[in-house]
Amino acid sequence: MASIDIHGIRKSFGTFPVLHGVDLTIRDGEFIVLVGPSGCGKSTLLRMIAGLEDVTAGEIRIDGKRVNDLAPKDRDIAMVFQSYALYPHMSVADNMSYSLRLRRSTKEKIASAVGNAASKLGLDPLLERRPRALSGGQRQRVAMGRAIVRQPKAFLFDEPLSNLDARLREQMRAEIKKLHGDLRATSIYVTHDQIEAMTLADRIVAMHAGVVQQVGTPLDLYDRPANLFVAGFIGSPGMNFFEGRYVASGEGAELQLANGATLPLGKRLGIESGSVATLGIRPEHVVIADGGALEAKVDLIEPTGFGIIMHVTIHDIPMKIFTLDRAMLNPGPNVRVDLPRDKLHLFGTEGTRVD
Amino acid sequence: MTIAAHPQAVRPLKKRIADASEPYLYSAPALILIITVMLVPLALGISYAFRDIQLLNPLSGGFIGLDHFRALSEDQAFFRALRNTLWWTGASVFLQFLFGLILALLLDKPFAGRGIAQALVFLPWAVPSFLAGLNWAWLFNPVIGPLPHWMYALGIMDAPNNILSDPHLAMWGPIVANVWWGIPFFAITLLAALQAIPRDLYEAASIDGAGPVQRFLSITLPFLAPTIAITILLRTVWISNFADLIVVMTNGGPADRTQIVASYIFTQAFKRLDFGYASAIALVLLVLLLAYSMLIVLLRQTLLNKG
Ligand SMILES: Nc1ncnc2c1ncn2[C@@H]1O[C@H](COP(=O)(O)OP(=O)(O)OP(=O)(O)O)[C@@H](O)[C@H]1O
Ligand SMILES: [Mg+2]
Repeated sequence: MASIDIHGIRKSFGTFPVLHGVDLTIRDGEFIVLVGPSGCGKSTLLRMIAGLEDVTAGEIRIDGKRVNDLAPKDRDIAMVFQSYALYPHMSVADNMSYSLRLRRSTKEKIASAVGNAASKLGLDPLLERRPRALSGGQRQRVAMGRAIVRQPKAFLFDEPLSNLDARLREQMRAEIKKLHGDLRATSIYVTHDQIEAMTLADRIVAMHAGVVQQVGTPLDLYDRPANLFVAGFIGSPGMNFFEGRYVASGEGAELQLANGATLPLGKRLGIESGSVATLGIRPEHVVIADGGALEAKVDLIEPTGFGIIMHVTIHDIPMKIFTLDRAMLNPGPNVRVDLPRDKLHLFGTEGTRVD
Repeated sequence: MTIAAHPQAVRPLKKRIADASEPYLYSAPALILIITVMLVPLALGISYAFRDIQLLNPLSGGFIGLDHFRALSEDQAFFRALRNTLWWTGASVFLQFLFGLILALLLDKPFAGRGIAQALVFLPWAVPSFLAGLNWAWLFNPVIGPLPHWMYALGIMDAPNNILSDPHLAMWGPIVANVWWGIPFFAITLLAALQAIPRDLYEAASIDGAGPVQRFLSITLPFLAPTIAITILLRTVWISNFADLIVVMTNGGPADRTQIVASYIFTQAFKRLDFGYASAIALVLLVLLLAYSMLIVLLRQTLLNKG
């Protein structure tokens, strides 16, 4: 187990910059999840930590020791690939024991390590099989087993569940969480599935276009997104946004929309009156009430079983509401809604959060 | 009802014959073509081995049973040719494979100008074998070629002589030419196989702690094994039958030191014009190569099943 320090990491492929200075400190035993849209550089960052990509600039330290120029094999980390990358010509047991055999561990030690990992992951009956004779979920488990037999300083996961179907993904997610509870190993997990990110992470690192947008606990990112990108990325269905002009008026403040309507904000915030701002509210926080302040035209109803996603228009701006009220399956052409002031998020001209 | 349940019982005989022969009739044209093109010449050639066929003797042509084979079992020149064939084939295939593999491994790594290098590697393959043979014969000739002088300067040879006329070294001449000529075959097929190996396996192995040598042994080799087996099989059969370079460069000499079975057959058939005896030798070579091929195919099957 070890801490990992990433300091000012940059990466360019040729002249094409991919990462623009990433700083991150990962504590011993922490489970970090990297999320972000496709192509934002998550895999690249992970592969740099693993030693599979050269570092263009900056420094990576594992357990305080600079590893920039160390080969992957000398970093003592394990990685689970999206494709699993199992050795097709080796049995499951040989796949799992490969790293130990390379280290010339004793037969007894290898047998007990493989046995332990196999029983943790339910692989005992499959040890003699070859990877091609396994299902996707079983392969995934073997890939995990290969990582844990070695007791490395840290685990790196690159979208390990994205090739599984939804049900299996849910199950494996829980298993990974349980495994982390048992092993308490420092882990970095890349995904673009935000449910995985929210459920697994001690802390989430949200990335966009090669820049870290916010680092925090899952609830930090959900409750207090640092900017428009994080606000829109975390949560499903995504946050609703109203663009307008921030106007301070007397004790309070309001947002003036393009069509002249105003949305009250409750209290004054730390930006200049008259500047461009964006107001955000999550679909699940919009309250439907007969005496609501705003009129919403109902466009579409999407029942999900658990709740209902309503597509509505308020002041010509499309938005979504998530409600558990079954009566909203047949709401009529219009509903009245409130936007509770303590659930509002305001983002300034640059898109950063203002309080 | 019963009749409908057993329609076959009441079909007329003619119709049944027609139905049964239908698939054979459809495949007949292809089968007849294959048989005439492949099997007839083979059968004819085999039959020569048991007949006395000498082009200069109009009375020959009669069936003589195993006489050719009896003569062959006492033919010292044939056994020398057999030993030379082993030597020629073994050295050529091994060196072609070795250099081909090294070249493929080098070409598998990205570097500037790789596309051009890959195209250049093909070049020897495009040179007609007779031209290649002449070329190398000239290179080894101290009057016009530089090689003997270079080898003399490097101290490999005592004097800048033509190795093709030295009974102890002559075989190396055609072997070197053959290696030069055959490397592209191995390089290209092995390169194709190398490029089909998923890169993430190497990454997983390097994270697991494998160095370059261990990665080569535990990933590259197992992936290449089936290709290696089949290319070596093909090349072995091919090279042991391949007399062009020898005929051009040394014509079997000096003192039969470079005579291989294939060139011996050529000599028997087209110099002594004894087609019957030449066919008998060819038949023995065919049987030996068949046995060898079976062995390699079995080996490949076991490898594939294991993998
Ligand atoms: N070997 C490479 N050469 C050139 N560009 C590359 C290379 N690898 C990645 N890139 C580029 O770097 C950027 C980041 O890629 P990366 O694989 O890190 O994205 P990602 O966040 O993992 O995306 P995804 O979620 O789709 O896996 C992409 O624009 C990609 O095109
Ligand atoms: Mg990726």
